[in-house]
Amino acid sequence: MVAVAQHPNIEMITYAEVTQVKGYIGNFKATIKKKPKYVDWDLCTGCGTCAEKCPTKKLKDEFDLGLGLRTAIHKVYPQAVPGKFYIDAQNCTKLTSGKCGVCEKLCPAQAIRFDDKEEYQEVEVGAIVMATGYDLFKWEEAYGEYGYGKYPDVISSLHFERLVSAGGPTGGKVQRPSDGKEPKSVAFIKCVGSRDDTKGKSYCSRACCMYTAKHAYQVKDKIEDSEAYVFYMDVRTAGKNYEEFYQRSLNAGAKYIRGRVSKIYPRGERLVLKSEDTLLGRPLEVEADLVVLATAMVPSEGAGALAKAIGFSSDKDGFYQEAHPKLQPVETFAAGVYLAGCCQGPKDIPDTVAQASAAAVKICGLFSKNELATEPMVTQVDVSKCSGCGFCVPICPYNAISLEPIQERGHHGPFTRNAAQVNSSLCQGCGACLPACRTLALNLKGFTNDQLVAEVDALCL
Amino acid sequence: MKKRVGVFVCDCGTNIASVVDTEKVAAAARQFPGVVFATTYKYMCSDPGQELVRNAIKEQELEQVVIASCSPRMHEKTFRKAVEDGGINAYMFEMVNIREQDSWVHHDREQATQKAIALVRMAVSKVLRNQPLQVSTIPVTRKALVIGGGIAGMQAALDIAEAGHQVILVEKEASIGGKMTQLDKTFPTMDCAA
Repeated sequence: MVAVAQHPNIEMITYAEVTQVKGYIGNFKATIKKKPKYVDWDLCTGCGTCAEKCPTKKLKDEFDLGLGLRTAIHKVYPQAVPGKFYIDAQNCTKLTSGKCGVCEKLCPAQAIRFDDKEEYQEVEVGAIVMATGYDLFKWEEAYGEYGYGKYPDVISSLHFERLVSAGGPTGGKVQRPSDGKEPKSVAFIKCVGSRDDTKGKSYCSRACCMYTAKHAYQVKDKIEDSEAYVFYMDVRTAGKNYEEFYQRSLNAGAKYIRGRVSKIYPRGERLVLKSEDTLLGRPLEVEADLVVLATAMVPSEGAGALAKAIGFSSDKDGFYQEAHPKLQPVETFAAGVYLAGCCQGPKDIPDTVAQASAAAVKICGLFSKNELATEPMVTQVDVSKCSGCGFCVPICPYNAISLEPIQERGHHGPFTRNAAQVNSSLCQGCGACLPACRTLALNLKGFTNDQLVAEVDALCL
Repeated sequence: MKKRVGVFVCDCGTNIASVVDTEKVAAAARQFPGVVFATTYKYMCSDPGQELVRNAIKEQELEQVVIASCSPRMHEKTFRKAVEDGGINAYMFEMVNIREQDSWVHHDREQATQKAIALVRMAVSKVLRNQPLQVSTIPVTRKALVIGGGIAGMQAALDIAEAGHQVILVEKEASIGGKMTQLDKTFPTMDCAA
């Protein structure tokens, strides 16, 4: 992360979103919305005086998924890059009610700006990497048998990561969210939302088998006299050194049970998991202090809208569609737009890094050229036939068609009217506009109406 | 423009030839208006296969080429290049998909062959109306935009930046790092994620 921040060729714009992308390969114009941070980052030294004195202290920390607390002015986490503070406007007393302003008075760098506003910046780039990542499947909305999120000791794997992390809210000590006690029995349920057509997604999220093996190992390693139960459908360890790692977890004493958990309910302070062991063909009941759900990866919020704005497609699950599943795994259908990481489909860190480097190489290849050749099979407009109705404009998935005024001569002298114009760099030659044209003014070079009719004639006559 | 079409029917090993009678397709093609040459070959995409196309263009003075083989997603670029190397415009070429859209989805040899013949007839009829098309060029802005500052975005940004190009990295949170920074140790090496 620090390498990114320090690299002279990288301009980092955080707390910002890309809202619009226009243009085409080699020549994109992107609009970046910078959200107000209420702190001048050119001045902020990251000293932390503001957060120390901020009176709004009991906000749930999103980074710790609500397991820890934070102040209204805060960093995402202590080692954040850049290591600057920003104000959560929804919870800041000054910004919501006008009172307070303690941080402004105390900031030694005088960096607080309560009048900070949203800013828009337009940038010109030649290529784009989509690396929008993933979110976790909202199991609380789908899995009633696991309590719809009402049991505090039924948590997701990412919560568990925060609990075992030395930088987490418990300093790496595994504790139950409900009472802070160390759990002696931890149950893991895999494929929550993954490989579940009825309640979740049909696909496998690929990383869960391995991180659950890691979690079970960590339970055995960190907690004395502990039990780690893993409820699984299959154990998938396709990766270098993965199977060995799974064996290490088994050797540490993790108990793998092949079966789905059908119900979780409380019994005293503990939770009961009703399941079956399908290898023994027997119903089964396990008592646990903590239950960890390996939830599916889903595309991150807003990913679909961004794909639409740029002009490429997503698959049935909302992941970005690669141009070819085997031969073009990092390209999209929009030339010059490449994919990296989980936005294209669930994957683990090694695969993500490999794909990101692949996307980078594609771009370096593109940038090694002075100019690019464009596909000549694009739509052309016969202006004399175009009525300017504009039906073709919204149909074009690449935003390549626009209505532009043209000068013409009529009986009463020159006049101006609108006619369709095709940006041949944007047009991908898909032909979607042709059926929309009622006057046959549009023709796709290489697939002209005349050619298509000739083909049909050859078949039918 | 002269109408001198050459038709090349690919066996694709046994992928096509086991279901479609390629010789029969070539023989039928010779009867189509405009066709002056038709032949088959085991792998038209291979070096000798492309050589066959290039030589035929020169020897038979072909003006249009139809290649009946696999999906254009597979080898359209390959054949465009071969046609261009043979000396005619790369867009005076039509590809007929008699593999994915014929031999791979049918069993009846006679009917599949008839379908291949019909598809070739369509392509010949179309290629006779093809116009030479010219590739144009556009400039390139040597600057990349990376959307998302997780491990994928950071890796891509670093690699592009290391190659000497400018990168703009946009992240929606106030810090880069993404989900990875929330992780503790990572499998299978148990090294630290942050």
